[in-house]
Amino acid sequence: MKLQTANPNQLAALPAGCYPMGGATSSRAYRMNRFCHALLVPARREAVKADAPAAMRAAGLSDEETAMVNAHDWLALVRHGVSPFLLFRLSGILGDGLAATGAQMRGQTLDAFMQTRKITGAR
Amino acid sequence: MATIVGGLGSPHAPSIGAAIDRGLTESPDWKPLFDGYKPMRRWLAEKRPDVLIMIYNDHFTSLFLDNLPTFALSVAPEHRIADEGWGPRPLPPVPGHPELAWHLANSLVADEFDLSISHDLPLDHGCLTPLSALWDWSAGWPGRVVPVQINVVQFPLPTARRCFRLGQAIRRAVLSYPVDCKVAIVGTGGLSHQLGGERFGFINPAWDEEFLDRLETDPESLAAMSHHELIERGGTEGIEEIMWLCMRGALAPQVRRVHRNYYHATLTGYGQLVLEDLALDAAHPPTTVSS
Repeated sequence: MKLQTANPNQLAALPAGCYPMGGATSSRAYRMNRFCHALLVPARREAVKADAPAAMRAAGLSDEETAMVNAHDWLALVRHGVSPFLLFRLSGILGDGLAATGAQMRGQTLDAFMQTRKITGAR
Repeated sequence: MATIVGGLGSPHAPSIGAAIDRGLTESPDWKPLFDGYKPMRRWLAEKRPDVLIMIYNDHFTSLFLDNLPTFALSVAPEHRIADEGWGPRPLPPVPGHPELAWHLANSLVADEFDLSISHDLPLDHGCLTPLSALWDWSAGWPGRVVPVQINVVQFPLPTARRCFRLGQAIRRAVLSYPVDCKVAIVGTGGLSHQLGGERFGFINPAWDEEFLDRLETDPESLAAMSHHELIERGGTEGIEEIMWLCMRGALAPQVRRVHRNYYHATLTGYGQLVLEDLALDAAHPPTTVSS
């Protein structure tokens, strides 16, 4: 409550490692988020699987965004402003499941991450 | 007149829907969660609500950043099962309740909650996971659903207090619906979890248990919390707890706990809850709203 009174920007001074999407990052990453959203269409999924760099060029993504995707740098993309819900659609198509994407963001191997969970088969 | 038979809380993680579709509900990993649904299903079979008002969020499936409402209400007669990227779940389309939904729209807007009205809102896991876990849909859905969608995915979000007050306004709206109809309110999502950044996989069971305690006995104290505090304790996506607060707002100030369960196994703290009004609610009498 006091934060909201003192500073109406809900995104100010969040705990380290938290990147809720909104404000400037949402504007910055709009095209990238739109690219991920379009993956709900099966033909778009196939196009990205077949030639991701070409699909990204056609969508008008920046060189920086394209490089982050090519490097599977999911943490950088979240910091850039991509919603995790949208990111997982892209990372999954490019071969990294939910847990693998998350482990990368945590700076862990997939196996090390799964050892912290009760359901170890849920990848 | 319409009545509110109670409120339920359920997680909405897509992995739960996948466990149902793959027949894993009795597997050792998932049984502690699905055992927690059994008393909820029995309660629903006994109370037989005609309508579930589902307080949920869309995950950039049917709603996107091009035009993202803070609050949305579906008046659709039927809801398609959304394809979230791996094909739609094998569920029958979900019947809506346009008459009650339009009454809610009129009442809520008169109450200064200016929602978006949707005629075609395919439902994603935010709504379908709890629905498919709570209701037996093998012979068709046993009732109707009015989805109420809250933006918890792009900041700024509505405050916790705003969601609590929306629940109170939903209560006034339902109790002023002049048709015999039994309604239950379902808060979905959470509890603690985080999906983006270095805190991916963050779960805080101590906070989740405290949240469930306070939701039952002292929801006002939760309504006073900032997003910052909620994220710190429950993770970035744990902010979905404000949708449970909306459900709680639709119940009487004093409630009786019928059921509560908590389990965490993968990425999310799973809370399960059934609450009923303890007594007649003199503090929130039905209001008359012209339609």
